[in-house]
Amino acid sequence: MEPIKTEIVVVGGGPGGYAAAFYAADKGRKVILVEKEGRLGGVCLNRGCIPSKALLHATHLIDAARESGNRGITFDAPRIDLAKLRGWKESILQKLGQGITFLAQKRGVEVLTGRGYFEDSNSLRVESESGQRFVHFEHAIVATGSKSALPKAFDLGNPRIMTSREALEIEDVPAKLLIVGGGYIGMELGTVYASLGSQVVVIEALDSILAGADPDLARPVMARAKKVFSEVRLKSKVRKMATSGKQIRVESEFEGQTREELYDRVLVAVGRVPNCEDMGLENTKVSRDEKGFITVGAGQQTSDPAILAIGDVAGGVLLAHKAAREARMAINWILGESSDSTGITIPAVVFTDPEVAWCGLTEAEARQRNIKVEVAKFPWAASGRALTFDRTDGLTKMIIDPETERILGIGIVGQGAGELISEAVLAIEMGATAQDIALTVHPHPTLSETLMECAEVFYGHATHALSRKKGE
Amino acid sequence: MDVKLPNLGEGADSGTVVNLLVQVGDSIVRDQPIMELENEKAVASIPSTAEGVVSKIFVAVGDRLSVGQRILSVAGTAGAPVEQASPEKEAPSSTRSRSDSEPAVSGVIQELGDGEGSGLPVAAAPSLRKLASELGIDLRRVRGSERGGRIVLKDVRAYIEGLQHRVFVEKRQTTPTPAAPAAQKSVDFSKWGPVKLQPLTPLRQVISRRMTENWTTIPHVTQYDEADVTALLELRKAHAARYQEKGARLTLTSFAIKALARVLKLHPIFNASLDESGNQIVLKDYIHIGIAVDTEAGLMVPVIRDADRKNLLELSVELEALASKARDRKVSSEDLQGGTFTISNQGGIGGAHFTPIVNKPEVAILGLGRGAIKPVVKGGQIVVKTMLPIAVSYDHRVIDGGTAARFTVDLVKAFEEFAESEVTGI
Repeated sequence: MEPIKTEIVVVGGGPGGYAAAFYAADKGRKVILVEKEGRLGGVCLNRGCIPSKALLHATHLIDAARESGNRGITFDAPRIDLAKLRGWKESILQKLGQGITFLAQKRGVEVLTGRGYFEDSNSLRVESESGQRFVHFEHAIVATGSKSALPKAFDLGNPRIMTSREALEIEDVPAKLLIVGGGYIGMELGTVYASLGSQVVVIEALDSILAGADPDLARPVMARAKKVFSEVRLKSKVRKMATSGKQIRVESEFEGQTREELYDRVLVAVGRVPNCEDMGLENTKVSRDEKGFITVGAGQQTSDPAILAIGDVAGGVLLAHKAAREARMAINWILGESSDSTGITIPAVVFTDPEVAWCGLTEAEARQRNIKVEVAKFPWAASGRALTFDRTDGLTKMIIDPETERILGIGIVGQGAGELISEAVLAIEMGATAQDIALTVHPHPTLSETLMECAEVFYGHATHALSRKKGE
Repeated sequence: MDVKLPNLGEGADSGTVVNLLVQVGDSIVRDQPIMELENEKAVASIPSTAEGVVSKIFVAVGDRLSVGQRILSVAGTAGAPVEQASPEKEAPSSTRSRSDSEPAVSGVIQELGDGEGSGLPVAAAPSLRKLASELGIDLRRVRGSERGGRIVLKDVRAYIEGLQHRVFVEKRQTTPTPAAPAAQKSVDFSKWGPVKLQPLTPLRQVISRRMTENWTTIPHVTQYDEADVTALLELRKAHAARYQEKGARLTLTSFAIKALARVLKLHPIFNASLDESGNQIVLKDYIHIGIAVDTEAGLMVPVIRDADRKNLLELSVELEALASKARDRKVSSEDLQGGTFTISNQGGIGGAHFTPIVNKPEVAILGLGRGAIKPVVKGGQIVVKTMLPIAVSYDHRVIDGGTAARFTVDLVKAFEEFAESEVTGI
């Protein structure tokens, strides 16, 4: 077949890749989107953000029903049909995947299903079941994402040792589940399995769960985890795993002792590695850092002038919305438009129970960078709305420049924090001061009031909190 | 850490690299000269604002740089890497001071210092940041008018207007458009014989522009006279050795500065400037004398501060130091600023009366020729005296002829009646 000539080829159809392809098409460019899987959407849609949120929603009801007993409404024990749960989850993914395919068609984005392999800096070979096609491009955007890391020592070829990908399939509900890694993936999926009835043990090598979040934001998550999980072991390491019949024998170290335990399944969630092997990057001038991520500069350009990289594969925080923003920056760069990314605020949301969300400067970062800040906190125990749904284990905090009173960062922990953080992102992007938020009327009774009252705490006049007077 | 071109002082915001004094791999310390920059006024050596090992140089000889432009990067000091260069440590204080210190042109332009920004993003809406990025405007330089220093569109507009004012209005004030003759068409002189082409150096371009401007915008009158310096030269002869012992050369120019400083006190209008836009005369309480120095590159006028408060020895020492700095092209731009009156002494070379051009924004200039031995009539007798040709050019808009004549008479007297105590009392 004749090679296809195109202005732009995007390799990888995840939230970065398809956003790039669509934006390029909207800007009138000829663009080809290469995806190795049958369904567009990448990890985010197929085995990440979306399915995990669906499962969290579904299983949250189990806990909510149980806790409802305290309020005089009691339900019978739930009956769980895993096949149906999986089917429902799958139907969501299908709907979303079809939606993306439809949007691609309507925009005239040609989708090639197959594995992309760079022949050189201007041509890509796409290998599919039906043969191979060559694409000659002016610019390529690498958006191949990342995958769960599975250290060699744990890779026994035993399906009972899972990464998030397999865990999201919920083949069964293991009686005893070990989660290696107390990051957001481990904590989110642990919540799902615990709700379904597994006894969950989390082993984390660091001294806190949810690395990156300020300790006061992680604390309520830890408190909850201690209730719903059997155990959360910090500063603990898994030494060895071995198959033991239908179980996994796990040798770990905790508090100076070696433990040997049997688990029905193990979820390894110790980080993610970029997908940039076996795609011919060595035939281009693209360079990678010591962890394997593609190094990029302004406008997401790699060290190869014809190739750009966005999303997880380009490193930084591994988040879908970061990839989507970088998609626009990359296309703008190709179009010769402004693609300045300085000062962009990328929020982080962890969908644990309770949720944690933050954006801008964290308290820890301020300390580390020696930036003088003041921190205002509003505990949800003082929020009427939080009381109405029995979850006062929340906190809203602001990191404020004491001189200009500008908001530099906001962190929220509590149910629904993920939805609340957007106001915080907007405030920071707009260069708002604490006063701007304090002067903005927030509807009652909602959790958004905690942002307003937190700003008021900074000035010492929050209605529902007794705060120290300013200057004291 | 990057070293950027610091603020060079009044009016000078760019220059051409004439010499790089460091190479990649060199260890440098703070304040060590790293390059020489020829700007409109002088060749100045640029000190480093950081210390460490030069890891990259971003400029080359011949490049035109403007203030804030990156010159080079340094990595940590050779022995103790990284910790030494800690730009972020200084950062918080510098962001704070930005809003109210450092008076900036029109109050809207932030002069960025060494510790540029704390790394915190600027306070401005994303739409505005995008606009600024498209326009190539560094928002860190824009002063935000809203709460918390937030920058809004109106601030960017004021900033752009401030820049335009800088570029067009202020430049026009120094280069009047009506007087600037259209550049003449190049003539092909090689038609008539072999020629050599020599590009105008930046300094020469400035001299040319300034002279044209001064000559065409100031109505010049030159008052001529002669001063009998016979006695003064005797004084010099008598005391030169004593000065030499103290490492100073007693020259006629030092005498002239001393004499002039006294006369300027009597005639403050000669120590003034005309503020054309404000319709006022600015009389200065200080006397800073500019000395025209003939250098290989061209004319330079370094300034001796507070000449009225210095004795002859101090003046002699400073004069010599400044002149040699100018000749070595080591003079800083501060050394060239703030003069209130200029002396151009050609006596060392020769010649008699000439017409010096007033050095704007000053209003008068003194030109001295070579003292000549002449027969003169004194008290009905013909005597032999050394007569110093004196020429005072002045701005006739500010100074009237009578005033100038009185000034000249007093100046001649100051030369002729130079008090010996001034020479000995050092």
